[in-house]
Amino acid sequence: MMKTFSIGGIHPNDSKISKDCRIEVLPVPSKVYISVAQHLGAPATPIVKAGDQVKVGQVIAEPAGFISAYVHSSVSGTVKSVGPRKDIAGNNVVHIEIDVEGDEWVEGVDLTDTIVTEIPEDDKATLDKIKMCGVVGLGGATFPAHVKLCPPPGNKAECLILNGAECEPYLTSDYRIMLERSKEIVIGAAIMKKVLGGCPAVIGIEENKPEAIKAMSEAVAELQKTAKGYEGISVMSLKKKYPQGGEKQLIDAVMGRQVKSGGLPISVGAVVQNVATSLAVYEAVQKNIPLITNVMTITGDCLPMENQHNYKFRIGMPLSYIAEVAGGIPEDAVKIVSGGPMMGKAIANLDATTVKGSSSLLYLTAEQTVRGVESACIRCGKCAEACPMGLEPFLLNKYARNNMMDELEENAVQDCIECGCCLYSCPANIPLLDIIRIAKGDVIRIIRGRGQR
Amino acid sequence: MTQTIIWTIAILTILGALLAVVLYVVAEKFKVEEDPRIDEVEKVLPGANCGGCGQAGCRAFAQHCVQSESLDSCFCPVGGNDVMQKVAGVLGVEVAAKEPMVAVVRCNGTCENRPRTNEYGGYQSCRVKAALYSGDTGCSFGCLGCGDCVAACQFGAISMDPATGLPVVDEEKCTACGACVKACPKNVIELRNKGRRNMRVYVSCINKDKGAVARKACKAACIGCGKCAKVCPFEAITVENNVAYIDFTKCKLCKKCVAECPTAAIHAVNFPVIKPKEE
Amino acid sequence: MNKLLVSPSPHLHTKTSTKSLMRDVVIAMIPAVIVSVLFYGWAELLVLGVSVASCVLLEYLITKYLLNKPCTVCDMSAVVTGILLALNLPATTPWWVVFIGAVVAIGVAKMTFGGLGQNLFNPAIVGRVFLLISFPTYMTNWAKPNGFISTAAVDAFTGATPLGLAKEGGVAAVEGLDYMDMLFCNIGGSAGELSALAILVGFVYLLARRVIKPYITLSILATVAVFSGIFWAVNPAEFTGPVFNLLTGGVLLGAVFMATDYVTSPMSNVGGIIFGVGIGLITMLVRYFGAYPEGMSFAILIMNAVVPLINKWCHTKKFGRA
Repeated sequence: MMKTFSIGGIHPNDSKISKDCRIEVLPVPSKVYISVAQHLGAPATPIVKAGDQVKVGQVIAEPAGFISAYVHSSVSGTVKSVGPRKDIAGNNVVHIEIDVEGDEWVEGVDLTDTIVTEIPEDDKATLDKIKMCGVVGLGGATFPAHVKLCPPPGNKAECLILNGAECEPYLTSDYRIMLERSKEIVIGAAIMKKVLGGCPAVIGIEENKPEAIKAMSEAVAELQKTAKGYEGISVMSLKKKYPQGGEKQLIDAVMGRQVKSGGLPISVGAVVQNVATSLAVYEAVQKNIPLITNVMTITGDCLPMENQHNYKFRIGMPLSYIAEVAGGIPEDAVKIVSGGPMMGKAIANLDATTVKGSSSLLYLTAEQTVRGVESACIRCGKCAEACPMGLEPFLLNKYARNNMMDELEENAVQDCIECGCCLYSCPANIPLLDIIRIAKGDVIRIIRGRGQR
Repeated sequence: MTQTIIWTIAILTILGALLAVVLYVVAEKFKVEEDPRIDEVEKVLPGANCGGCGQAGCRAFAQHCVQSESLDSCFCPVGGNDVMQKVAGVLGVEVAAKEPMVAVVRCNGTCENRPRTNEYGGYQSCRVKAALYSGDTGCSFGCLGCGDCVAACQFGAISMDPATGLPVVDEEKCTACGACVKACPKNVIELRNKGRRNMRVYVSCINKDKGAVARKACKAACIGCGKCAKVCPFEAITVENNVAYIDFTKCKLCKKCVAECPTAAIHAVNFPVIKPKEE
Repeated sequence: MNKLLVSPSPHLHTKTSTKSLMRDVVIAMIPAVIVSVLFYGWAELLVLGVSVASCVLLEYLITKYLLNKPCTVCDMSAVVTGILLALNLPATTPWWVVFIGAVVAIGVAKMTFGGLGQNLFNPAIVGRVFLLISFPTYMTNWAKPNGFISTAAVDAFTGATPLGLAKEGGVAAVEGLDYMDMLFCNIGGSAGELSALAILVGFVYLLARRVIKPYITLSILATVAVFSGIFWAVNPAEFTGPVFNLLTGGVLLGAVFMATDYVTSPMSNVGGIIFGVGIGLITMLVRYFGAYPEGMSFAILIMNAVVPLINKWCHTKKFGRA
């Protein structure tokens, strides 16, 4: 019996249209705008000003707190300005505008293709490199990686889980790197495993990606044969079910342990990192390359096959530029999503630029994405059946609309992971998640306020 | 037959008497001691339970009034000064009169002034919309137009104008309870004093973007040029973060700023229409 | 494209809708409808037609003119109520009685509560029980089926259902009845009770389409079987047996189509089992000890009333909370 998480889940059509498109490198545009808020936590503080010369990989913004990250220049050239610019949601965020001149990298970066399999001994130096290279979780939340790799005192990592589930429909960027950069990912895993004290590492991949499972297993086997420090790494194939890639769901699937409400994964001994993060860790530690690139999928049912792409992009590239290079926006697309169709954000502003966590430009047609008219709840319970956290969205919806905060808290609205299963499965088109998400924020604020008093 | 009726009546009477005694004993035993003045204060309150005073309802407000030493921190925006005088009378204290207030929508981003750049397809709620993105226009500060304020108003004083997509406050019905101010995620609505004969001058924009950006997003945006501040004889206008604000406690309704504003972002309402003089 | 559409996630949506769910229920009832029409003929067609037409019409009129709400006829829930009501009535019911049943079902049981999703009691059953109490003569006049197909087995009952026979004449009266008749052919009773097999086909379809979960239906059937099994084992001379009880009356029709109604059944699986066990128990109590030969409708109505309580007690198991 193949493993999966225990409660709820849905089976949307996986639509991995672009899965056979090799990763291509996007040409650098003449100008980039690099956001200082590319990670969870405090936005970084810019340390360059207009007129400064920068090289590729040079630090241009420093972390502004414990949970924050370095931001590096993805191009070489002249800083044109530092100031507010609208991000994909249309909100003002400080961006550093750079005019591109040439492609000159900072010193010490290894740009060769040689794969470095030897794992460094000094854990502190490794962690430092991960931090200095601005590595953040690339699974969606963009949580600074070095913070996750230093378990708080009293907690010990018992298992490092690499998230290769890619349970979101359409996305294929993780799949492509698992095929094309499998060894590097395994080396990244070995590095993180070493930092965490040598716990076993499991690479979880959904069964709908047999090629990736094969490629990763082969990479693990080969590295275990030829180099040291790779014992205890294994590949686990998981049943296909959304949201398998959710942190708590993946831990449940792989380890059979449920993280307590409000608890961190480390409380059950788990550390979860995305496969793309593992690749970034490899590049940072073994090659000194800071996190300035990532892979994104350009896809959608309305996009002709020749315009489907998996691109290696640099941060700061305008989305409109990428869309154009990729062959233009299809006529019948009404919505462009950054990220997967279940949890990704709809793009309000194509002038916004790529960030570390960008994973896709997904074109959706009106037929696919326009919501139906809301009708009365028929109490079918499909939302509760689908909820992977075992919540009762129909109930939360009722309480939220009547501002019943105590009842919301009692019914665990704060546990919601916003995976979208409830809204996806509602036959009456009730905007369950829209309403629950707001209520969740309110309740968490109330709980925090209580803690402070 | 007769006996049945007599028995029935007798049993019911005894039962009634017994239960009455039980009820009395219970009521006495579990009696809650409460300041009788709370009831009296509650009686003079409007009873809307709107929470505009900051308390959970009229009863809670009455309790708050009775318990606090002076009434300075208590104000019922719905009842206004009349009710507060009555409350003061009940409690035997003095209370200073407050100026009547009214909710003012500080956005003039009508469909015409502020072209839509996106289309919103989620739940029709300003809070949901605001959590998602900055709104479906180029302006990330203005009214989102989903009507959370309309839903929050218990007095039916706010309605959406379908032509402009903006909320309209009915000054007659508005009690300045502040529910709409709290409901608006963009802080577009402000409580301002009603003003002499309801006349008011205010900046109908809160866009903090730089002038050019703001102007591009909305024809009626305040561009923070500061002309109004310069022309104001009473130093009532401040320009901060590229947006002007008129302090209503200082404004003397001279309307000089209104003429000066290049984008007509300053509104003067309820002024008598000046008839052109016949020559 | 000029204006990008923006909405909160998720950006995809299931193809299942209220309408498609209701359509599936209608499809699942088709075998039972066909069987009843075949055996009862034109009379049954008339009952079905009047019932469905008046339910839909009433829903349309009430939503449009009384409630001033958007019209909800398109979601097909009124069609489901109409068919269910018809399947619950004898084929000989006069059209005006059927119409009154529809008025009570849609007008009283559904719309006064606020329409689809709000009603506490299953509209079709409320309609049926109202008619049963108000027009007992019409409702218990089980004329022998005189349909497009006639079978000898049916002629055995003139005027009474097997359950009615058992009530009046005791176990002896129904001895010699062939269970295969009950399963395949037909037995006297309201239209939908005719063929257990037709209803089971519908049940399998509903399960396969994931419209309903099996908990409620199976727990009702299990309870009926166990309860009657115990009594029958103790005293087979006085009590009818489990197979007889499962196949007769509205047990199957009720367990498959009426107790599983989304609106009036509990949301959780555990709640569903409690609900089903309750219905099974009450049905059998009415059958063995009550005044009516058949207790399914009353059992469902009584348990409908308990659903809010069950929902309050039974919640889903939450992730990471012991």
